[in-house]
Amino acid sequence: MRKKKNRINRKTVLAFATLTVFFLLFAKLAYLQIFLHGRINRAVEKMVNRENVEVPKRGDILDAKGNILTTSIKNYTVFLDAKMIEDFETLKEVLSENGIKIKEKKICDFKNMSYIPIAFDVDSFTVEKIKKTKLKGVGFEAKYTRRYPQRRLLAHILGITGRDGGGLEGVEKICNANLSGETVKTKIIRDGRGQIIRNKSLNMEEICGCNIELTIDRNIQFIAEQELRKAFELYKAKKAICIVQNPKTGKILAMVSLPDFDCSDKIKDIRRLRNSAISDIYEPGSTFKIVTVAAALEEGKIKISDTFYLENGKFKIAGHTINDDHKIEGSATLSGIFEMSSNIGMVKIAQRLGGDLFYDYIRKFGFYSLTGIDLPGEAKGLLMDVKRWNALTLPNISFGQGIGVSALQIINAFSSLANDGVLLRPFVIQKIIRCNSEEEIFEKKEIRRVVSEDTAYIVKKLLKNVVDMGTGKSAKIQGYTVGGKTGTAQKVDPSIKTYSTKYYTASFCGMVPAMKPEFVVLVIIDEPKGSSYYAASVASPVFANISKRIAEYLRIEKDDVK
Amino acid sequence: MRKPFFLGASLIITIFVYLWQQNMSMRLAYKASALQSDYDKFNSENDILRLKINSNLALEKMDKIAKEKNLLRPDEKHIIYVD
Repeated sequence: MRKKKNRINRKTVLAFATLTVFFLLFAKLAYLQIFLHGRINRAVEKMVNRENVEVPKRGDILDAKGNILTTSIKNYTVFLDAKMIEDFETLKEVLSENGIKIKEKKICDFKNMSYIPIAFDVDSFTVEKIKKTKLKGVGFEAKYTRRYPQRRLLAHILGITGRDGGGLEGVEKICNANLSGETVKTKIIRDGRGQIIRNKSLNMEEICGCNIELTIDRNIQFIAEQELRKAFELYKAKKAICIVQNPKTGKILAMVSLPDFDCSDKIKDIRRLRNSAISDIYEPGSTFKIVTVAAALEEGKIKISDTFYLENGKFKIAGHTINDDHKIEGSATLSGIFEMSSNIGMVKIAQRLGGDLFYDYIRKFGFYSLTGIDLPGEAKGLLMDVKRWNALTLPNISFGQGIGVSALQIINAFSSLANDGVLLRPFVIQKIIRCNSEEEIFEKKEIRRVVSEDTAYIVKKLLKNVVDMGTGKSAKIQGYTVGGKTGTAQKVDPSIKTYSTKYYTASFCGMVPAMKPEFVVLVIIDEPKGSSYYAASVASPVFANISKRIAEYLRIEKDDVK
Repeated sequence: MRKPFFLGASLIITIFVYLWQQNMSMRLAYKASALQSDYDKFNSENDILRLKINSNLALEKMDKIAKEKNLLRPDEKHIIYVD
């Protein structure tokens, strides 16, 4: 009986002890779950959960045919964590095999640091090779960098990006919001070995920036750049500009400003970033005569058959003498005036038109207002208000002096005549391609009708005569009819505050084919040095070289079989 | 006797299914992460190769090679357009 009692006691004690242990465990569990759950959860979340900032790839900029002009590539910064390095010699050897050299001395200086960058812009192939060695103490930080496979081509149009990846100039700036994409924060889980487990799969293509397709054809751009660069170097010019435009749509096919820069290099001279083709203004000289003639014809102030007495090459107005470079004896027809680029003839035409009407047409052709091109930094130009014009203003402006225009405004005015008198908005961005392949297409935009179709036809005929028989003979190209106008403008010398006899701007603006133009080309050579400064010998040959190559490239049907 | 046995068995199966799907979801998450990394890697390699193609076909570079090899621009009559 006693034995049985002892056994019960032992069983009871054991059960009691077990229950106590379970009770204590339960109590501890309850304490952790109820009272400490918040703190523990936070600690675990801190250890396991990570917020990851997914930086999207900046969109590409493409030419009219889809060739990449600029793109972003994922590159890596390789860094060392000095505390984690186990075998420095092997690490040094592996990195050296992959083209990364490290100095032991430098590492010793930062031995307590966890982030010692040792190489920048390392490509993913190299990074993969290093990763495979599974060495401890080496890390990689991914970053997108902008690349320009076409080097200098289109530098001013593409523009540049800053350190933060944002656009600072050109299309990079104007389309920054579209190109940048959307930065997304995602949650990732890290396990005990540091491996990442994503709780949601993210398609990076959905957040990346849009691609921008330009109207510019890289082949046409290359032709224009190559020919212009030759002339720029030959004449040791201060600046040179070339624009090629499709007059039927307003699309810019090429735009070159020299001197230029290489987008991939560090830009030493910030002035080179300036896109002279749209940001600089100059006195156009005789190329502006199309405005005077077109306005007078449109208003019926002159007829194609009219003749004008040209004062034997010297014409006095308000105490000033206006000279003709190409002297014409006696009188000349409108065509003769245009062919020989007579300043006196142009003054007489402008006088028939009068100041107010002339001013209206200057504005109608788009001068002294922005063309609306989709590039930053466009200049409006300079033009005195008609109420403040003096006796010399009208005569001067009639042959393109005393007015400041941009190269883009001049070519757009020529294009309006080539487009049967309708002025269009010039543009360089034709498509925005979103990540989901949706496209936003930009079409041609009509600004206004400037002159009638008939007037435009007569001016085109006059321009053709300039190349066939006048000052623009050197702009002729084999197989095609060409219409165009030369312009040799004196520049104002700031030191003497009057027109210089040393510094000139030579330009030529023309269209091919002459009567049904497919493209318009403007060439400007600023301050050419050498034996000649005349547009006929400096700018027109450059126009001819560019136009011939472009016409052949675009396979435009030959219209001059002579 | 049968009733408690089935009860126990279904409890064990339920626990097993629960643990299996927990384990499976973890394994799939690892696999998805690895695939995502591969996808990113291939994408980035594709970008690099596209850049290389465009760099090699850059007109400035081709013109330089043509000059080095003394190549001349062909006469228009000798050009055959294939497109």
